[in-house]
Amino acid sequence: MPQRLVVTGASGYIGARLVEQARRRGCEVVVLGSRLPGSDVTAVPWRLGEVPRLTAFLGATAVLHLAHDWASDRAYGTAPENANLAGTHILADTARGAGLTRFVFASTTSARPEAFNAYGKIKFAIEERLRAQPWSEGRIFCARIGLVYGGPERAQYALMSKLAALPVLPMIGLDREVQPIHVDEVCDGLLALLLHPPAGRHTVVIAGPQPVTFGTWLRTLRRARHGRKMLLVPVPIGLALAGCDLSRRIPFLPTVERERVLGLAGAAPMPSADDVAALGLSLRDPARALRQTRPARRRLLAESAVMLRYVTGRRVRSSGAIIRLARAIRRDPASARALPWPAMCWPALMRFVEPIRPTPRHGLARRLHLAAMVAETLPARRHWGATWWLRAAVQLTLEAVALPFRFVFRAFTA
Amino acid sequence: MSDPAADIVVIGSGPAGVSVALPLVEAGRRVVMIDGGRDGDAPAGTPWRRMLGAHLEALAPDDGLSPKWRTPEARRLLGAFHAHEPIDTEDFNAVGALGRGGLSRIWGAFVCELQADDLQGWPLTAYDLRASYDAVVSRIGVSGSHDDDMAAFYGSADVLQAPPPLGPTAAAMFKRYTIARPDPEFALGRARNALITENRWQRQSCDLRLACLWGCERGAIYDARQDLALLRQHANFELRDSAAQRLAPAEGGWDVITTRGEHLHAPRLVVAAGALGSLRLVAPLLSPATELRVLNSPVMAVPLLVAGRLGGELPTAGHSLAQLGFRLACSPTAGDYVSGAIYEVAGLPPSSFAARMPLGRRAATEIFQALAPALAIATIYFPGRYSANTVTLRPPAQGDQSPRIEVRGGVAAGFDEVARTVRQRLTVIWRRLGARPLPGTTLATAGTDAHLGGVFPMGVVAPHGTNNYGELHAAPRLHLVDGSVLPSIPSKFTTLTVMANADRIGRYLAEVA
Repeated sequence: MPQRLVVTGASGYIGARLVEQARRRGCEVVVLGSRLPGSDVTAVPWRLGEVPRLTAFLGATAVLHLAHDWASDRAYGTAPENANLAGTHILADTARGAGLTRFVFASTTSARPEAFNAYGKIKFAIEERLRAQPWSEGRIFCARIGLVYGGPERAQYALMSKLAALPVLPMIGLDREVQPIHVDEVCDGLLALLLHPPAGRHTVVIAGPQPVTFGTWLRTLRRARHGRKMLLVPVPIGLALAGCDLSRRIPFLPTVERERVLGLAGAAPMPSADDVAALGLSLRDPARALRQTRPARRRLLAESAVMLRYVTGRRVRSSGAIIRLARAIRRDPASARALPWPAMCWPALMRFVEPIRPTPRHGLARRLHLAAMVAETLPARRHWGATWWLRAAVQLTLEAVALPFRFVFRAFTA
Repeated sequence: MSDPAADIVVIGSGPAGVSVALPLVEAGRRVVMIDGGRDGDAPAGTPWRRMLGAHLEALAPDDGLSPKWRTPEARRLLGAFHAHEPIDTEDFNAVGALGRGGLSRIWGAFVCELQADDLQGWPLTAYDLRASYDAVVSRIGVSGSHDDDMAAFYGSADVLQAPPPLGPTAAAMFKRYTIARPDPEFALGRARNALITENRWQRQSCDLRLACLWGCERGAIYDARQDLALLRQHANFELRDSAAQRLAPAEGGWDVITTRGEHLHAPRLVVAAGALGSLRLVAPLLSPATELRVLNSPVMAVPLLVAGRLGGELPTAGHSLAQLGFRLACSPTAGDYVSGAIYEVAGLPPSSFAARMPLGRRAATEIFQALAPALAIATIYFPGRYSANTVTLRPPAQGDQSPRIEVRGGVAAGFDEVARTVRQRLTVIWRRLGARPLPGTTLATAGTDAHLGGVFPMGVVAPHGTNNYGELHAAPRLHLVDGSVLPSIPSKFTTLTVMANADRIGRYLAEVA
């Protein structure tokens, strides 16, 4: 019989991904909160702090509580009025009353009493309250999640991605250690907790076992996404906080949350290797995982545009054509190699590296053939009429010039 | 479970299947036809959907042999066929289709009749096929000329529709031909295509949009699904969506076991699954020691440059089926000739040609576009006796019921010599017609022509032979009606003959069934 899971915060960065993965594994999911747009997942309306309808828990085995009320953090800080505090308590109690045996609370690696930011303090306080429940043993699990990356650019991964686009970045907390973990790995870990929790643990750390400094992490992101280096300028924390305050006072300026700055400044690693192993996770190297995700797609699109430009001899403005070519290249196993950067800048250079005898097995030849097939679907080009021979002569001359280079290139790459 | 609802079960809804079924249904016989139910038309709409497929299924590298095989429709049909038929090949291109209408959904639509000379060694005479040729031609709608040098070669022309206008490159060649007559043994004339130029029931005439390759939305090109629509108006006809898996002799007839696990029973069984599909179905009924063969018509494609057309405009209206047809006698012996067709490149995708030019992709594309108004492609078909393909039946693998079939392609000894002579003679003739052969002539892999035959030849007295009505000697009451029963493959397009022969067998079965 499929397991039925109740999930809060299902529309968030982790939640959306998790619902998708849980369903793929054959679990039924009930979303507690607002309905997911464009999805057929059952949703039971609920807001953090309310007592959820018991129907949501019918036939369910476990609850995953991902939702977090940021506004409440801002308004009440660590005061008892914070909706996160009471809301989690109510949710856990109701689930227990409905006969559910597992309650997984999404916490953070910054959860500690001495955390600089309210988020870390609140999460810690909630953990403490959950642990104090008389029935918590073997039923309540707190998952302390590290710095999540990968997948769609949302939440703090969106912020990191934006920062990684900058060549020079003044930043605080560059020497603080963070524990990056891919969003899919987080989902795997949470699902493992929900379905087969390891015995004897109340708190589980789902974070990269090898901490890296925040500065290194930003550089890794930038290299993977843009293939460039990054100059980081350390900023003292006092100055940064002053900047935050200032940004809030000046209208029309994007504000920077004090919370985030404090969170970063207070980051400290937690040992996670044991927990990761207990959950049966095998974590990927973040640098490699990043290359395989979204940025790689962006580069593929750029390459597709270059290929089309080379084949047609003009800039192709149809984004549809570029996307279609990228899709075809991506699923074609024989053409995994990326174009070197000079060809990305000057597509005409491809003439000098094209294979002399294009066989269907040659990666570049295949890509160019696919590009030509896509180019045919674009509106027809103007006809040259009387200048046909001039065009042909120019092409043949260029071909003759390029031929020796192609021989040399073949000799080097063979 | 037996199925008393049918007098005859027909396997396959391609040109042969519908041709055999029509006379049966019209005579009141109850017919059940089965075929793997892929029916969707090529999606209309944006150019990329037509050319690449809604799911980009046709955006994948192809072998570049003929643009015809790279369309979404062709890939769907062939893909389904290969997924269904366990045929191993070597140097052979196994062309077959699984889906309603069969290969007629992607055919070149060239039609011609066989003459007495072509029927040597057949247990039939031209007279036997006459009525059926006329019936099929008037049913499918054929356009062509009845007063040029090829008219008699292509057959009786009573019911022809007027041909569509010639493309400019083909017109230039044809004009030179009518003035010069370059060789007494060479003849050139208008192609004869199953392309209608006058509206008919449920079909619209060709509007010269140059979109033939990607599927004609107007139904101007004949496609067996049009006859299927006709058949489905009869109450005594039933079409079922399932592919035949296995045939088994049963009490008083045959059982067809389908991929859906149905058992269809009928006193008579007609197999029209295409030469390779029928081979796969019928071979398990024969002893493994039976020596089978497959004939095909070796085909060459020659790119021609009509110098007088250089710098001209690429036509924006026309069709991309064959423009002209030709014939060249090889020796004074009757029936010893090669024939072929001439195509223009307008409406064909440039990438298929650029891929085969010995140039970089950019240069190839540009030069192709510069030359395109002056380009023509001639295909030369050689008689099937020059093919030497072998069929091997391997014992079934564990857990399998039917033997594995392996087809190995090849050409007969002496073919290269014949081909060289023909090419040399044609080169002289092309020059006199104002065209120059360009480098890049290729002999297609055996089987690519899809003119297959000779598997269960009519009139051959052997277990794998069939009688005049396609009835297999080793399996009475099982009739084969597709290309597999042709005793020989002439250097002509065979589809019309397959249809006419199926029609003839259908008329016979209507009387005896």
